[in-house]
Amino acid sequence: MTRAATSAGSGRHVTRLAAEVFAALLTLALAVAIALGARGDGIGWTTGGPEAGTFPFYVGLIVGAASLGNLVMAFTRADRAAVFLDATKARRIAAFGIPLLLFVVASVALGFYVATFLYLSGVMRVQGRYRWITSIAVAVGCAAFFFLVLEVWFKVPLLKGPLESTLGIH
Amino acid sequence: MENLGLLLHGFEVVLTWHHVMLMVVGVLLGILVGVLPGLGAPNGVSLLLPLTFAMDPVAAIILLTSMYWGALFGGSTTSILFNIPGEPSSVATTFDGYPMAKSGRAAQALTLAFLSAAIGALLGVVVITLLSSWVANFALRFGSPEYFAVYFLAFASFIGLGGASPGKTIVSMGLGLAFATVGMDTISGSLRLTFGFGQLVSGISFLVAVIGLFGIGELLVTMEEGLRFDGLKARISPRAVMEAARMLPRYWLALLRSGSVGCWMGITPGGPTAASFMSYGLAQRFSSRRANFGKGEPEGIISPETADHAAGTSAMLPMLALGVPGSATSAVLLGGLMIWGLNPGPTLFTERPDFVWGLIASMYLGNLVAVGLVLCTVPMFAAILRIPFSIIGPVIVVVCFIGAYTVANSTFDLWLAVAFGVAGYLFKKIDYPIAPLVLAMVLGDKAEDAFRQSMIMSRGSISIFWSNGLVATLCTLAIALLLWPLLGRALRVAIPSRRPPDALEE
Repeated sequence: MTRAATSAGSGRHVTRLAAEVFAALLTLALAVAIALGARGDGIGWTTGGPEAGTFPFYVGLIVGAASLGNLVMAFTRADRAAVFLDATKARRIAAFGIPLLLFVVASVALGFYVATFLYLSGVMRVQGRYRWITSIAVAVGCAAFFFLVLEVWFKVPLLKGPLESTLGIH
Repeated sequence: MENLGLLLHGFEVVLTWHHVMLMVVGVLLGILVGVLPGLGAPNGVSLLLPLTFAMDPVAAIILLTSMYWGALFGGSTTSILFNIPGEPSSVATTFDGYPMAKSGRAAQALTLAFLSAAIGALLGVVVITLLSSWVANFALRFGSPEYFAVYFLAFASFIGLGGASPGKTIVSMGLGLAFATVGMDTISGSLRLTFGFGQLVSGISFLVAVIGLFGIGELLVTMEEGLRFDGLKARISPRAVMEAARMLPRYWLALLRSGSVGCWMGITPGGPTAASFMSYGLAQRFSSRRANFGKGEPEGIISPETADHAAGTSAMLPMLALGVPGSATSAVLLGGLMIWGLNPGPTLFTERPDFVWGLIASMYLGNLVAVGLVLCTVPMFAAILRIPFSIIGPVIVVVCFIGAYTVANSTFDLWLAVAFGVAGYLFKKIDYPIAPLVLAMVLGDKAEDAFRQSMIMSRGSISIFWSNGLVATLCTLAIALLLWPLLGRALRVAIPSRRPPDALEE
C-alpha cells in the first residue's frame, strides 16, 4: 500500500490513473512471466499433440496484449484524476491490514488457535478499546468455538503450534 | 413427463431427516454469510467446501446449495435494512428497498423481497426441471471440439456481455486460465509454471483464490470506507407478511419479466448481478410509476430480487448439464463436484440420476425452507450487524484463513490468500471483474484438455472448430460475442449524434 503518491489536488493521494497503470503493469509482468515460463515447458508439437507449454504460452500472450490495451485505455479515462486512495483510507487499510498480516505470521509460527486468541484480543483491546477482561473472554470463546466445530465436530485438524504440543493436543 | 418421475424420485432421495437438517443448517449459515460484509455466496461456499470432502455427495451438495440460497436471501436483508448490499447481486435492491424501509415499511419491503425472490428461484428451478435432461441429452453428442467451443462461448459471453471493460475481462479470465495450468500437467506429467516453488507443484486451488479475492479483498474495500451500520429496526409480523403477499399478484408482469431476464442471464453466464441490474433497468423503463423509482417503489424491489434469484438458480442448469457454470458460486460448486469424484456434464445424468434429481428436488425444498427461515430469523441476523466491527471484522478474517488452510493443510495457501486478497482489493476498486477469473480457474483444465484433444484429432489445424454445423455455430457465435464491444464502438463512431457524452474515446 506504499505506492508513490501523486500530489495533484488537495493532500497526498494516489490517483485512479496511477492505480490503473499499476494494475496494467502488474498484469503485464504476470503475462510475461507466464509466457516465458510456458515457453520453457515447450510450445512445439510432439507426437502426443501440442506440448505442455502451448496453452499457457498463448494465454500469456493474450493477457499481455490485453494489459497493454488497458494501459493505453487508462490514459483516456475521464476520471483519471479521481482519488483512488487518500491518507484517511490508507490509514484505515493499514489499521486493518497490519494486524491481519501479523495474524498470518502468528498462525504459521504458533498455530491457529493461539494466533486467533492473540489477534482477536489484541484488536479488541487496542482498536475497539474494550477492557482486557472482555477482550480476553471473547477471544478465548472464539478460539474454543473454532476448536469444537473443526477438531471435534468436523474432525478437521488445523495448524497447531508449541502450546498445543505442550498440552498434548494433536 | 419422464422428468416428473425422476423429480419424484429426487424428492424421495431428499426427504430424509438428515438431508432436511442439512438444508436448515445450510440456509442459516448462508443467511449469516450473506448478511456479513466480506463473506458472500461464492466465498461462503468455498469456506464450507473443505468440510464436505468426506461427506456423501448428495448430502454435501444439499448443504452447499442451501447455503447459496440462504446467502442470496441474506444479501437482500442488509440491502434493505442497512443500505449495504451483502452481495454484489443485491446492490439493485438498495435503490428502492432502503427508501421503503426508511419510510417505516421495513417489514413489507423485506417480505416483498423474500417472496419475489422465492418466486424467481422457483421459476429458475422449473426451467431446470424442464430443460436440464434435454440439454444433457443434446450434449451427449459433444466431442472435444464441441466442448472447447462451449467453454469458448462461455468465456466470450463474459467479455461481450459482462458489462465490464473487455480488456479487463480478458486479463482477469486469462490470469484464471494461467493459474489453472500451474503445477502438474495431467497429460504430459511435466511441471508447469511452478518457477521453482515446491508448494506450487500441486497447483493453485481455486478455493484459495475465491477466499482471497472475494473474502479478504472485499473486507479491505469495506474497511477502507470506514464501515458504519445505521440499521433500521425490523420486526416482521404475520400481518405485514400477509399484506405484502396480497400486493404481489398485482405485479405479475414484473415478476414474469424479471424471472425471464434472470433465467436467461443465469443460463448464459451473465450471472445474478447483471441480471438484477438489467431487470431493475427494464422495470424502470416500462413502469407507469417511473417517477417513484428510487423512492421506495415496490416494483423496484420485486424486479431485481426476482431476477437475482432466478439467475442464481438457473445458473445451475449449464453447470449440471454441460459442466459450464453460469455464476461464480456455481463455478465453486462445480469445483466441489469434481473434488467429490463426480464428473459434471451430460454423463452425470445417466451415471448419477439420484444425485442430479436429488439436487433439483432439493432446490425446490431448499428455497421454501429458506423463505420460511429468513422470515423468522431476520431480526436475529440484523442484530448480528450491531456487534461492533472491531469484533466481527477479525472473526471474519480468522474464518477466511481457516478456510484457506483447510483446503490442503498448507501454510503456503495462507500467503496465497493474502496475495489474492490484495489483488482482489485492487481489482474491485478499479472495476476488473472477478467472477471470470474464478470461472476460468475452475474450467481451465477442462478447457485446455478439450483444446489439446481437438488439436490431436485435427493434427494441429484450427479448422476443426468449424468442421461441423454444431461446433461451427458455437464458435461463430462466440467470436461474434467477442467482437460485440468493438462493433458497439464502431456503431457509436459511425453515428456520432447518438454518442453519449461520457463515452468520448479520443
